[in-house]
Amino acid sequence: MDQKTLDAMGLKCPQPILKVASMAPQMQPGDILEVTADCESFPKDVKAWAEKTGKTLLFCNTDAEGKHTAQIQF
Amino acid sequence: MAKVAITVNGSEPGNVFPPFILGSSAAASGDDVVIFFCPGGAPAMVKGEIEKWDVKGLPDLKELYDGVLSLGGKVYVCELALDAKDLKKEDFREGIEIIGATTFINEIKDATLTFSF
Repeated sequence: MDQKTLDAMGLKCPQPILKVASMAPQMQPGDILEVTADCESFPKDVKAWAEKTGKTLLFCNTDAEGKHTAQIQF
Repeated sequence: MAKVAITVNGSEPGNVFPPFILGSSAAASGDDVVIFFCPGGAPAMVKGEIEKWDVKGLPDLKELYDGVLSLGGKVYVCELALDAKDLKKEDFREGIEIIGATTFINEIKDATLTFSF
């Protein structure tokens, strides 16, 4: 299992999800992608994306500055 | 997964951002995406056109365009746009295909979501 990171800070919806999708082909089953983003809709969007594509959203936390950190298991 | 068909018949940012915001979101989620530019929307797909747009608060349109294509989406321009807008095939950006209405209609016959802008 590998862990990769994706910095999507400053990107507007739907660019963070587009970046996640573009990294998907590099991910093997079980690999974890950690994404940081500050786009308002990101927590709901990443949840919806994971549900639709059959990936596991391990968590999505938001800090006091509005920075979201999510981990997706492929 | 859904099949999303989107028509565009205006070449202002208000017509062109929504197809690529919705289309790239759908393509990123595994949906088939087909975007069809009618003559009224075709000028936006001329090479270099969307690069000129910098709209406050909106994402980079070129990235969304490239994202749709790299995730298997199709972007078509109606062949009627060639004469109607005095454009040539070569004027359009890379990735665009020029097709007729019948081909588009056939391609989207199983579309489950449709939008028009």
